[in-house]
Amino acid sequence: MSQPSSDHSQDHTDVPSDPSLRVKALESLLVEKGLVDPDALDVLVDTYENRVGPRNGAQVVARAWVDPAYKQRLLDDGTEAMAEFGYSGGQGEKLTVVENTSSVHNVIVCTLCSCYPWPVLGLPPTWYKSAAFRSRTVIDPRGVLSELGLDLPKDIEVRVWDSNAASRYFVLPKRPDGTDSMSEADLATLVTRDAMIGVAKVASPSAGGVS
Amino acid sequence: MNGIHDMGGMQGLGEIGYKETAPGFDEPWEIRLFALVQAMRTGGLRPYIEGIPAADYLRMGYYERWYTALVKQIIESGTVTRAEVDSGRADPASTKATLALTPEVARDLLFRSTKTEQDVELTPRFHIGESVRGRNINPATHTRMPRYTRGKAGVVERDRGVFNLPDNEEASAEPKPQHVYLIRYAGRELWGEEVPPNDSVYIDMWEDYIEPA
Repeated sequence: MSQPSSDHSQDHTDVPSDPSLRVKALESLLVEKGLVDPDALDVLVDTYENRVGPRNGAQVVARAWVDPAYKQRLLDDGTEAMAEFGYSGGQGEKLTVVENTSSVHNVIVCTLCSCYPWPVLGLPPTWYKSAAFRSRTVIDPRGVLSELGLDLPKDIEVRVWDSNAASRYFVLPKRPDGTDSMSEADLATLVTRDAMIGVAKVASPSAGGVS
Repeated sequence: MNGIHDMGGMQGLGEIGYKETAPGFDEPWEIRLFALVQAMRTGGLRPYIEGIPAADYLRMGYYERWYTALVKQIIESGTVTRAEVDSGRADPASTKATLALTPEVARDLLFRSTKTEQDVELTPRFHIGESVRGRNINPATHTRMPRYTRGKAGVVERDRGVFNLPDNEEASAEPKPQHVYLIRYAGRELWGEEVPPNDSVYIDMWEDYIEPA
């Protein structure tokens, strides 16, 4: 605890003064008590640092762009279609894929917490979990998107997905113009995490999206 | 609970702090803590996170909340004592616990999906296309019904299937499986006439959260 226990409030909480030391102390305690195996921690760290992340989602998007049958499966049942790539597991149990088109723009938020499709996007960035993004995206999506650099014309329909329950959401971005001759692998390099959250579009390569 | 965490629709909560290249973790201890929470398999931390007093909640970073919630939960469950957390050392008199997660299972977690949908046949109370309204309920405990949906009318878009109501999970009550519906709320219904007419908010709602409109 960072403060001496002179706190009379029953709502006493720990605000770690030096979080890295606190977490280290907690880890060694839990290991000493036999509750946690440090090797299991290493596996988990490796998994979430190196093995899940937006590159997974980008492969899914690129496949959907080149393979209409796959795209249909993805929109019908995101969970099953992503499992074809081997992407499943925690926070991916029920994936709903929503498609951005020339007339509809989708954006994902979790107002209550931080729900996010881990297997295909990894862990959410800090700004996705910020109070400002969580609170404002439902009431003023156009303002939020504009602040993030995406101005949407009035005639585009904006759909906000508040992932509060069993389903996690994933945006299938619109394929940019000028990419007809690109291979699936090259297309995947264009797709950004932010486009799969719906706070950005996938830039066309001529616009400097790829070298 | 009408807590600070239920912030959908609030304004004035500062900057988004958007960074295009932001990683999932800002500091090495955050991913270590994330892994600790996964390895402990303690179940839902959210009620503990939501129990953090509002001023502290807003001051804390995301993973500081996790730390606070995890410590509170494992002290409450009797897994560790406050003295042990403070010292970082196990009480010599305490018994060795059973490992919650082996490295083998941890490796497997990435590829294994735990199905959260329940295989229970229940007659749905609502149907696609039906108008429903968010009920006026104010539970003081964990709920997945954001307050901005209360009293608001929307339309059932999809029947998600049957899932356990998370509201009573933590109270260790009997599981309450029920249908979850995807509801479309017109932006104008939620936020007024200034919203462009076709903009909308989609949200999944358990049966207990809604009533016929």
